[in-house]
Amino acid sequence: MLVAFFVACVCSIASSGQTSDDLALGLSEFSKGNFSLAAALFARAEEAAPGTTDALLYESKAYIHLEQFTAAEGALRRYLLAHATSSDALYLLGYVLHREGKAAESLETYTNAAQHRTPAGDDLKIVGLDYVLLNDYPDAIKWLEKAVEAEPKNKEAWYFLGRAYYTKSSIPEARKAFLTVLQLDPRDAKAENNLGLILESEAQPEAAMDAYRKAIAWQNQSLRPSEQPYLNLGSLLMEQSRVSESIPLLQKAIELAPGNAICRLKLGTAYLRLGKLTDAQRNLEKAVQLAPDDPAAHYQLGKLYKVMKALDRAKAEFDRTAELQSRAASSKPQ
Amino acid sequence: MKRWPKIDIRHYRYGNLDARSVIVLLCLALPVPLMLVAGQEHTSTPPASPSGTPGKFVDITERSGINFRYQASHTSKKYLPETMAAGVALFDYDNDGRLDVFLVNGAPLGDPTPKGTIPQKTGPQYWNRLYHQKTDGTFKDVTEKAGLKGTGYGMGVAVGDYDNDGYEDLYVTAYGGNKLYHNNGDGTFTDVTQKAGVGGSGWSTSAAWVDLDGDGFLDLVILRYLEWDFDDIWCGEHKEGYRAYCHPDFFKPVSPLVYHNNGNGTFTEVAAKLGLARPGKGLGLAIADYDRDGHIDLFVANDSMVEFLYHNKGNGTFEEVGLPSEVAVDIDGRTYAGMGVDFADYDNDGWPDIVVTDLANQRYALYRNDGDGSFTYASTTAGISNMTLAHSGWGIRFLDYDNDGWKDLLIAQGHDLDTVELTLPNLRYREPMLLARNTGKNFVDVSAESGVIFRKPWVARGMAIGDLDNDGRVDAVVNTNEGPTYVVHNETPTENHWILLKLTGHQSNRDGIGAEVKAVTASGAQFATVTTTSSYLSASDKRVHFGLGKNGVVQEIQVRWPSGVVQTLKDVRANQILQIDEPSGSARW
Repeated sequence: MLVAFFVACVCSIASSGQTSDDLALGLSEFSKGNFSLAAALFARAEEAAPGTTDALLYESKAYIHLEQFTAAEGALRRYLLAHATSSDALYLLGYVLHREGKAAESLETYTNAAQHRTPAGDDLKIVGLDYVLLNDYPDAIKWLEKAVEAEPKNKEAWYFLGRAYYTKSSIPEARKAFLTVLQLDPRDAKAENNLGLILESEAQPEAAMDAYRKAIAWQNQSLRPSEQPYLNLGSLLMEQSRVSESIPLLQKAIELAPGNAICRLKLGTAYLRLGKLTDAQRNLEKAVQLAPDDPAAHYQLGKLYKVMKALDRAKAEFDRTAELQSRAASSKPQ
Repeated sequence: MKRWPKIDIRHYRYGNLDARSVIVLLCLALPVPLMLVAGQEHTSTPPASPSGTPGKFVDITERSGINFRYQASHTSKKYLPETMAAGVALFDYDNDGRLDVFLVNGAPLGDPTPKGTIPQKTGPQYWNRLYHQKTDGTFKDVTEKAGLKGTGYGMGVAVGDYDNDGYEDLYVTAYGGNKLYHNNGDGTFTDVTQKAGVGGSGWSTSAAWVDLDGDGFLDLVILRYLEWDFDDIWCGEHKEGYRAYCHPDFFKPVSPLVYHNNGNGTFTEVAAKLGLARPGKGLGLAIADYDRDGHIDLFVANDSMVEFLYHNKGNGTFEEVGLPSEVAVDIDGRTYAGMGVDFADYDNDGWPDIVVTDLANQRYALYRNDGDGSFTYASTTAGISNMTLAHSGWGIRFLDYDNDGWKDLLIAQGHDLDTVELTLPNLRYREPMLLARNTGKNFVDVSAESGVIFRKPWVARGMAIGDLDNDGRVDAVVNTNEGPTYVVHNETPTENHWILLKLTGHQSNRDGIGAEVKAVTASGAQFATVTTTSSYLSASDKRVHFGLGKNGVVQEIQVRWPSGVVQTLKDVRANQILQIDEPSGSARW
């Protein structure tokens, strides 16, 4: 979506005849991927001729690439002061607000944008994801379904639709969505990993493990492989009492996502079951540090301390587990 | 970051032989006609099983004379009680040596039902039912004569002789208030709830008669499920046909009720005083002395929160030790939907183990007692995990169906959500029962080769076990939700020996509930606790059954009575129902 937007911007510059050197230099650096420099050049161009060019729009785009969404929002809001009906800016602001976690504001902005231009499949996808952030899955599904209707080959929209279905336990629909992703991209690791989760929920552990293995193999070439298939396969192997086999997978998961508390918890638990208490302690204490409100982490740490005969510490962890479990047992509002 | 969520959609010390305590040797009283008729379903010997002896369980409901259908009164509002019940009791109310059957029933529900309603039975289809077993093994409905029609929306039943008069009494739990029925000894019962002061309130589920303080009178423990009322809460997807029963997380936990038996027909509520008042979402209840300290302990199966193990401190109070004893959660520290439970020594090491049923994708929880106050989650290593992954279980009992000396597992199954197949197509609302054979090393699913009933999908809930025809093979009666009750007859072909022990306490409570029994043969020792409570909402035959394998003689039977008296019998012949009376001597451990 962003690439298409960038091309549109370049055309817009050429047609409007803007000649600012900074603007041209900024676009050049932007195209080379030098986003910080590009952002600075766009800012200077805007300063030279406030409100008369699309420099702020480009600046926001550079910040998006830099994942500096607050700065991007600022640039867009300033741009909209002079170009209040710019659908490009409004849709982009909706996206930026989504990335900032401001789902309600994002939806409001998308609603405004839609008055000026029919939303594309990607826009509808972000609207759906806004509803996910608001924990409103029926509406999330509604808009994600509209997204794939608008763009049947939008792989990401199908993927998120599958996730929304899965979260709502609509398993047949989730399976269909993930299979559609795999039709569009036969080696999509995320979709295959999710099929593994579905197979687990259907009590088909062997088939689930096959899916996780495929996902791991397919994402090997990825620049940003996910820890999830490693975690899922490792966890399932543990449930099959194949604890030794799970260790390298869980280690890999932690290598990919050092801050993932679940990975730490699983690896620590695996070490505990193998009697490797020092390794277990390191990982379980880290898991509790990362997720202090996870009762399972406190429980496993309590078990470890009990094995280590540190009974006072064990009691403290079990007490904390009970407190957290008790809270969870009546946490859902009526 | 989180892992992507999964669908949510659970010291024997014995004294010397006292042969004088063997008062009566009961001969077998086989109801021959029923046995012969029942045996016609399968006449050929089952094929040899690689996993050992398969069972042969036969549905004899039609011929038994029991014609009962539990009225859940399902509504469009999906009120939670609709999917939870009901219980079964197997007990000998008239002391004729044959087990009788009591079945709990529901009541009509309005659609909608106003908040605050306490449903009441309005006609015969909603009555609880008592079936008396006749000499030919068939059953006769004696509900009206017995005065056991009941009142409210029934859930569970507990059996115990609370006044030690020699006749088993009934406690029936329900949504909105419970009933205590005193057995008058003449085939009739009297509702003594008000006088006894045990009516309770809220939504009661499983209950247990057990002498908590060793005074020789059975006390009463009653679990309650949730703080719940007839509110119109939509759960599940907001589309036609997808409305579902709400997850228990939507409701607050509630304390159980514990009534101390004052010994004069009245009771006093003491849950808080005894340390048993921790709020839970209790569904299943079982008793055993897990640490062999001579004091009976309690296990509570809670739904979707930590399970409770109440350790009896020996001073009349209890402490909850589920988490440090490692029976509160599964191997990964996760809670599960604990429903049915049994508390018995399946590996014959003398230490009572625990098994808990739950929902599909959770795996039934088997906790092996390590003998040091802790348990090890053994579902995976014992073969239970894979066997039960796709199943949802309710009533469950350890029972030695083939009399080989190892306690097997019989489980009543069926999902709680009648919509489950819409969202998880490979799971089933109606499921067959499951029979798992204990090989001595692990459990093996022998359901497929153990009879047609293991292929018939039921919405099973309560289950009680007992030897209906006194042939030494343990049978079962299963209640289904909005469906019939099934009488499941054990016709497993086996030459293995057995013994049934009927204990009568004199210093202890007359039922002998809480007594620990050890049976020693040339093959080794087995252990059991006298109880009527376990499974789900149900009460089973209080007699202790041991399969003896090839051993025609039990070298030693040792009983540790709740009074502390220890009694030892030597060289007891197999294949009999043995009456054991508690001696009056002072051979205390």
